[in-house]
Amino acid sequence: MRKKNLLAAGALSVVLALGGCAPSAPESPGNAGGSFDDTLTVATTTDVVNYNPLIGNSRSDYWITNLMYPHLLSIADNGKKIAGLATDWGYTDETTGFYEIRDDFTWSDGTPLTAEDVAWTMNAVKNDAPSGTFYGQMANFESAEAVSETRVEIKLSQSDSTVIEELGFWGNVVPKHVFEKAETVADFPNDGKDGGWVSAGPYLLTEVQAGQSYTMERVDNYPLVDGEKPIAAKVIYRVFPDVNTEILALQSGEVDVIANALPPAQVDNLRNTEGVEVAEVVGLGYAHMTYNMSKPDLAKLEVRQALAHAVDYETIRSVVLQGQAVSTGSSPLMPVLSDYYEDSLKEYEFDTELSRKLMKDAGYTEDSNGNFPVSFRLIYSLQDSVTSQWATLVQDSAAEAGITIELQGTERNTYLAMTQEGDYDIYAGSFAIMDDPVTNFALSYLPGGVINYTYVDDPELNALIEKGMVTSDTPEKIKIMQEAAKIVHEQVYDNIMYTQNLYFAHSAEWEGFVTQPSELLSIVNPLSIASAYKVK
Amino acid sequence: MSRLSFILRRLIRAFVTILFAVTVTFLLLRLMPGDPALAIASPNMTDEARALLLTQYGLDKPLFVQFGLYLGQVFQGNFGTSFTQSRPVLDVLLQRLPWTLLLTFTALTLTVIVGIPLGVLAASRRGKLLDKIVQVIGVTGQSLFVPSIGVLLLYVFGLMLGWFPIGGAYSTGTYGLDWYASVATHLVLPAVSLMLIQLGSYVLTMRATLIDALEEDYVTLAKANGLPKRRILWKHAMRNALLPTTTLIGLQLGFLVGGAVLTETVFAYPGIGRGIYEAVTQLDFPVLQGAFLLLAITVVVANMVTDIIYGFLDPRVKTS
Amino acid sequence: MTSAVDPAAPSAEPVASENERAGVATWRAFRSEPLGPISAGILLGLVFVALAAPLLAPYPASYGSDVLKAPSLQYPFGTDSLGRDLLGEIIWGTQQSLLVAVAASVIAIAIGTVMAVIGAFFRRVDSFISIIVDLTLSLPVLPLMILVAALAGPSTATIIAVIAAFSWPEVTRLVRSQALTVVDLPYVDAARLMTTSSAWIIGRHIIPAVTPVIIVSVVVTASRAVLAAAGLAFLGLGDPTTWSWGRILYEAQQSGAMSSAWWLTLFPSIAILLLVLSATLLSIAYNDASNPRNRSR
Repeated sequence: MRKKNLLAAGALSVVLALGGCAPSAPESPGNAGGSFDDTLTVATTTDVVNYNPLIGNSRSDYWITNLMYPHLLSIADNGKKIAGLATDWGYTDETTGFYEIRDDFTWSDGTPLTAEDVAWTMNAVKNDAPSGTFYGQMANFESAEAVSETRVEIKLSQSDSTVIEELGFWGNVVPKHVFEKAETVADFPNDGKDGGWVSAGPYLLTEVQAGQSYTMERVDNYPLVDGEKPIAAKVIYRVFPDVNTEILALQSGEVDVIANALPPAQVDNLRNTEGVEVAEVVGLGYAHMTYNMSKPDLAKLEVRQALAHAVDYETIRSVVLQGQAVSTGSSPLMPVLSDYYEDSLKEYEFDTELSRKLMKDAGYTEDSNGNFPVSFRLIYSLQDSVTSQWATLVQDSAAEAGITIELQGTERNTYLAMTQEGDYDIYAGSFAIMDDPVTNFALSYLPGGVINYTYVDDPELNALIEKGMVTSDTPEKIKIMQEAAKIVHEQVYDNIMYTQNLYFAHSAEWEGFVTQPSELLSIVNPLSIASAYKVK
Repeated sequence: MSRLSFILRRLIRAFVTILFAVTVTFLLLRLMPGDPALAIASPNMTDEARALLLTQYGLDKPLFVQFGLYLGQVFQGNFGTSFTQSRPVLDVLLQRLPWTLLLTFTALTLTVIVGIPLGVLAASRRGKLLDKIVQVIGVTGQSLFVPSIGVLLLYVFGLMLGWFPIGGAYSTGTYGLDWYASVATHLVLPAVSLMLIQLGSYVLTMRATLIDALEEDYVTLAKANGLPKRRILWKHAMRNALLPTTTLIGLQLGFLVGGAVLTETVFAYPGIGRGIYEAVTQLDFPVLQGAFLLLAITVVVANMVTDIIYGFLDPRVKTS
Repeated sequence: MTSAVDPAAPSAEPVASENERAGVATWRAFRSEPLGPISAGILLGLVFVALAAPLLAPYPASYGSDVLKAPSLQYPFGTDSLGRDLLGEIIWGTQQSLLVAVAASVIAIAIGTVMAVIGAFFRRVDSFISIIVDLTLSLPVLPLMILVAALAGPSTATIIAVIAAFSWPEVTRLVRSQALTVVDLPYVDAARLMTTSSAWIIGRHIIPAVTPVIIVSVVVTASRAVLAAAGLAFLGLGDPTTWSWGRILYEAQQSGAMSSAWWLTLFPSIAILLLVLSATLLSIAYNDASNPRNRSR
């Protein structure tokens, strides 16, 4: 029938048109021999937005660029910084820091990786100010200079005991000879259009199918892994916008690793699934609520205390987080930071009667329904499913204490914008890595601090934090920060609710993953990916 | 000459419809409560970039001028810049369009292939049990919720039976013939999902038009002349019933494309539908607008093509 | 989303419902075929559940201790990822789903009928109206609904408004073809001789004649509204403060439970299916029953 012919013609033309989308086979054949032949497939829920690690946007960006651009320092399970590209680091005097780097790294195009790359990267970030954590750490950084092939010296504008470690951990080192072609690194897309990417290992991005997959091939020389050669020949990141499809794909063997943290309720289920293993990773951050003290009601200590006592922390941890979270004693010094943690600070007790009493002490009277004449707007990101879940629990338990909380969940960008503007009464959110107490306190509690969401300006607290920033003697620093944490706890400047331990699923056919704390590293950090091998 | 004017009319009509879609999109943004700037400039932008963009759109100028500016941009292919990817929206979407086209086209083809026999079956046994069963199947099909069907198929055929891959348009690392085969296997489950929900209305329409055709006088005449029933069915009734269903395909495209949004999300299929889903979660308005416009244009063009084909096929259509 | 097709509509002749015997005959034909009454029964059952929700189940708590449990005696439909009883969520969700469906379709039908009747009666406006209708019908509606809902923010009012706004053209098309047939009938011409009040003619003759089509439209539009609302909720554009079937599916999807907790997907889907299916079958049965051509078999 003519209609069927027409349909066939149409089909053929679509197929031919698709042919234009077909990828062409690579020129070099795959590696021969041994277990160095396998491909590791990793699933992620977000697409890569840009390839410039100095800007960074989505998690997938971070995971993929991490496999190409090294960090000077890495991190241990208790938050302590350990060697990465740098072998030694510290301060030579009050305003000068240094890094000594390895001499066995090379870029994939043959150029050796030297101190010049490190210095250039830091200076470029300082001058071009790309928006991101790297630049955010540079308040006291003035300039960097490569004084030899392996030594970089950092000039500071004032004494700062944390900047060397923070910059070393958060910042990537990029190849000067590639990035200097751009007018400004803040804009440089690094999209590989100019002859591909240049990587220091363990993997190099070779093929991109936008929105679908990102193929990376092994860089043979990667000094940080045992044997100096990454095991898997290829790593492919595949994008699945739906976590359910991801899980199904893992179970069917189509992907080997799920890079994003498992939703708490799925952990047990996957643990018990044959062919799937679940790795536990220490959480280095915390979830919290902050009360906007620029609002008159919340400026009163009793009100903040009342709110803090009107939250059922235990239930949130057991139901929403399925027991996978740990209390920090409501203190910003989490148990995982073993050097800093001390258990004298106890979590705010869930006691709605106490909350009522506190509200009355603050001068509020209950109406006939038992409610106080206050209403607080709590903002959170709808994309954060865990917070979205406990926000309703917080609202309900506050209602028991006669305090009205109005929930305002919005999409992430709106949420971030509202946070920046202070457009909220209560802020609910979480931080993935809060590794260094001094830095974090400075950013969270000093007036004008980038994450000072509580709008606090406490002279006593400020003095302690500033002292901590210039103290290089660690035991001394620890004492100071513990005192500061006490103040934060007493004054309810921050309501730290829990540290969440994270779980990542991978196929039982792969072993050798090296876990590092937080979702940004977990089992997809460079060392882990380079060390993973297929069991057969 | 009449054929030419027929095509011309259809072209004009398509153009007008696209213009209508553009106008609707424009009006939606300007007339919705709230700040229209929110839909154009990302909150992440620097102040200068934002100011530049806003002058480009002329938000301070009268509505007519704004509309003119907007029209100009659309016809130049400038659908705005994506908030999340900082790339032109058109680039982002054109990458995804072929996959949505492939998916919807395949689903449509499957619908026709499965729908025609079912419709014929129902019409020829009208009033009997088989007819009732087909009717119920048809109505049920229309009532299904797409994501549920998708997840079900994925679970049963993808995971439990392992017959089909889970997610994506093809397996990375396949080339040449392998690649085509991979595309095909990845296409099956999403296309079948989409087909299942379209099937209902197609079968019911087919059945209805066939029943009407069977009652036409020329069929009665053929019966009176002693022609066997099956021949009447296929030769006369079918050919005439196929024509309205051709138009139906064009109309269905609009709904099919909507179903693709949900299907592509569940199956991680990299088409425009999934682009819409990702844009919704991030409130990436330029992408949402652009996706609607692009889909509208596609649907309109497809409708126009089927209309023209219909015109050629139906001998009764001569001038208008 | 699909276009619900009404197989008998194109060829139905207008039934002047002032004729008592026609009405009775319709009812008798309706009752004789099992499909119609059964569907009506299911529909009424759902309405009952919506209205009697407070009596049938407690309002879902904010959390429970038995997370993601499969259906059992204690939880007939199982629990969700926060340990809440799914049966309660579905019962209370019936309220929202029915509310949105009915409200959206009533508004759509009101607008659609008005447009259709005006167009049929006042020929000058007709071409303009039918162009708008055709144009809207050719566009992919779901992406447009998504765009508007995303702009306006998630709330019940938005969903109802969005669905109504894009559903009325279909109603207009259906009603208009019926109205056009009636307007040309001799008795309307006769009426025009008797009075110059268009409103009287419209109210007395045309509206009753198109009523059967309107009834059918109500049901069809409402069922489509349910699917559209569920689709929007699934994408996260639904009202997060009330329980709806779409919200259950959305939360299941967000928490990664859809792949393993089959009950979270199955029961809301069945609820949606029941509502839409019974509504559509009801409209078909009514149409078949009211069409005199079908009765002589």
